[in-house]
Amino acid sequence: MSDTQTKGQLASAISTEVMIEINQMNKWYGAFHVLKDINLTVHKGERIVICGPSGSGKSTLIRCINALEEHQEGEIIVDGILLGKNLKNLDHIRTEVGMVFQNFNLFPHLTILENLTMGPIWVRKKNKADAIETAMTYLERVKIPEQADKYPGQLSGGQQQRVAIARSLCMNPKIMLFDEPTSALDPEMIKEVLDVMVDLADTGMTMIVVTHEMGFAKTIADEVIFMDEGDIVERNNPDAFFGNPEHERTQKFLSQIL
Amino acid sequence: MAIIKAKKTPDRSAPASETSVLGWLQKNLFSSAFNTALTLFTLYIIYLTISGVYVWGLADATFVAENRRECYDNSLTGACWAGVIDWLDNIFYGRYPREEIWRINFGGLLLALWMAPLWISRVKGKVLVGATVVVFYPFLAGYLFAGGDKGFFMQFMISGAIVAFAINMANTITGLTKNLGLNAFLIQSLGQTKATDKTQRNILLLLAAFAFGAAYLWQMSWSFEGVTWTKWGGLFLTLVISGIGIASALPGGIILALGRRSKLPIVRVLSTGFIEVFRSVPLITVLFMATTMFPLFMPEGFVLNKLVQVIIAVILFNACYMAETVRAGLQAIPKGQFEGAHTIGLGYWGTMGLIIMPQALKHMIPNIVGSFIGLLKDTTLVSIIGLFDILGMLRSISKDVPWLGLHKEPLVFGAVLFFLLCFSMSKYSRHLEVKLSAGRKH
Repeated sequence: MSDTQTKGQLASAISTEVMIEINQMNKWYGAFHVLKDINLTVHKGERIVICGPSGSGKSTLIRCINALEEHQEGEIIVDGILLGKNLKNLDHIRTEVGMVFQNFNLFPHLTILENLTMGPIWVRKKNKADAIETAMTYLERVKIPEQADKYPGQLSGGQQQRVAIARSLCMNPKIMLFDEPTSALDPEMIKEVLDVMVDLADTGMTMIVVTHEMGFAKTIADEVIFMDEGDIVERNNPDAFFGNPEHERTQKFLSQIL
Repeated sequence: MAIIKAKKTPDRSAPASETSVLGWLQKNLFSSAFNTALTLFTLYIIYLTISGVYVWGLADATFVAENRRECYDNSLTGACWAGVIDWLDNIFYGRYPREEIWRINFGGLLLALWMAPLWISRVKGKVLVGATVVVFYPFLAGYLFAGGDKGFFMQFMISGAIVAFAINMANTITGLTKNLGLNAFLIQSLGQTKATDKTQRNILLLLAAFAFGAAYLWQMSWSFEGVTWTKWGGLFLTLVISGIGIASALPGGIILALGRRSKLPIVRVLSTGFIEVFRSVPLITVLFMATTMFPLFMPEGFVLNKLVQVIIAVILFNACYMAETVRAGLQAIPKGQFEGAHTIGLGYWGTMGLIIMPQALKHMIPNIVGSFIGLLKDTTLVSIIGLFDILGMLRSISKDVPWLGLHKEPLVFGAVLFFLLCFSMSKYSRHLEVKLSAGRKH
C-alpha cells in the first residue's frame, strides 16, 4: 500500500520538528497511579488519536500536556519548553496549546464574540478591532458567524462545541488538544463538530484527540494510541491499528466498540 | 393497528380556571366548603388588622400639637404623630447644627447625581464612573460632613473629587446628547481624531491636569465650619456607618474569600482564622471591643475617635460574613470555567476578574443584598455604645419634656422607615437579578 492510502483521505504534513516530548512521565491522584512511565513524541503537524476504556488515563494525559494537571515524575517538553513549577512557562504553554473540552466550557455570561476575543485582547494584548476581525474569520470557518452576538446558552451543543474550537483557534495555538469533544453531543450534532475538526486537520495543525469516534480516527489520524490502566499499550498507524491490532487488550477493546 | 390518529388533533381553548379571574378565585380560594370558610376567616382577620391600624394611625391620630397633653386632649385612642413630626429634623440629622444641614442634603444629592449615570444606558465609561465614586466621593463627602481645616491630602482629594464629578457630569451630557463619551467628544471637537492614540491620550491628560489645577485653586477659596462627629446622628449617622460598611464589606469580603480559597497555605490559614473569629463573636461584642480594647493596643497619644472605631468594627465584621457569601458563590462556579479560562491563557487575576467573579457575583446578588439589609439593621446596635443613630434618636423622644413617655409612635415610624429602606433594596436586587439574567439561559 502506498503512503497516502494508509493515511486515509488527508494528506499528511508531518515535519521532523518535535512539538511535544514526554519522557518517563508518572502521575498519581493521591495514592492511585494514573499514568505509568509514559513516553510519547509528537511531531509538528502530526495528528494523534488516543483511545481506550474509560479510566485508562487518556484525558489525564492530555490535561498534563497543557498543565491543567500536575505530573509528579518525568518530564514534559512542549514546544521546547520544560513544564514544571515555573509559572511563566506555564502561562506561555497555555497560550500556545489550545484545548477543547467535552463540556465546551464556554463562558456563559459573555456573548460568543466576547468569548472569542477575551484571550486575544487580555492575553495577547491585541486591539479590539483586530481581535473581532480574527474572531469573525474563525466563526466563519466553523460556519456560525451569524451567532456572534448570542450567548452560549442559546446555542445547540454542536454549535457550542464549534464556538469552543474557534475560541481556541483565536489564540493562534501551535497545538490543539481535544478531550472527548463529541461525547456530550446528541448524535445528529456529532458530524458538524467532526467536520470542523477534519477541516482543521487539513490545515496541518498538530492535534491530539481523545475520542471514541473510530471512523473519525481512521480519517484523520497519522497514529492511533491505545491506552489501558495508565499504560500506553499500542501505537500504530490507523490501518494497522484497526485492521491488525497486535496486543490482546487492544483486540478486546476494539471488538467491544466496533 | 399501525396508525393511531390519521388527522391532527385541533387545539382547544383552556378551561376557565386557567384564564378568567372568577375561575382562578373558584379554583384557589373557594374550591370546597372548608376552603371557603378558611378564606372568609382569613379575610376577616386581615380586615380587623388593617382597620385597627387605620383607626389608630390615621383616623384618630393627632398630627399637630405642642405636646403630648394636647394629643390626649384631641384623642385618647389615636397615635400622637405630632411628637414625631416635631422631632423629624433630629430623627434625620441628629444634633447636627441646623444651619449646616444643607451640607448633608447636598452630600446626598451629589452622591445621587454621581451614581445616576450608572443607570443610564447611553452613558459611556460606567466602570470609571463607579471607580471614581468609590475613590473620590468618600473624601468629598467626609469633608462636607465634618468640615474644619483641610489638610494638604484632603485638598488634593477634594480637588480630585471636584474634577471627577465635573468630568462625570460632562460625560453624561455628551452621552445623552451626542451618544459619545466625553473623551471622544473632546478629541472630535479639537479635530484630533486622526492623531495617534498616544497624542490623544496626552491631550486628554493635559486637559484633566488643567481642570485639576483650576479645581485646586477654587477649593482654596472656601472652607466649612467644623462639626464634630459627636453631633452627627439620626438616620444620617445610620446611613454613613452602613454606607461605608456596605461599600467596603464587599471588596473586603471578596479578598478574604479569595484568601480562604488560595493555594498559599499561610494566606489561607490567616484568612480562615480571621473569618472564623469575627463570625463567632456577636457584633455588639465586636463594637465594645473596638471602642474599649482597641485603644489599648494603639501607641500612646494615638487617638481614633469612637465613630471611626465603630466603622472599622462594622467593616471587619461584615467583610467576614460577606466572605462566606462570596465563597459560596465561587463554589457554585463549575471547575470547567477555571479550565476554560486557563486554556485561553488567562492568569489568576484575569480568570477571577473576567470569568469567575462576574458569574459568581450574579448568583450571589440575593445573598449579598440580604447581608446589606442585615448590615443596615444591625447598625442600630451602635446606639448601645452611645452613638445617637436613628434608633437612639427615636428613643430620645420619650425623654424630651413635651413628649415624655412617647414610645410607640417613634418606634412605629422607625419601623416604617426601615421597611421602606430595606424593601426598596430587596426590590432593587430582584430587578438586578432579572436584568442580569435577561437573554442568558444557562
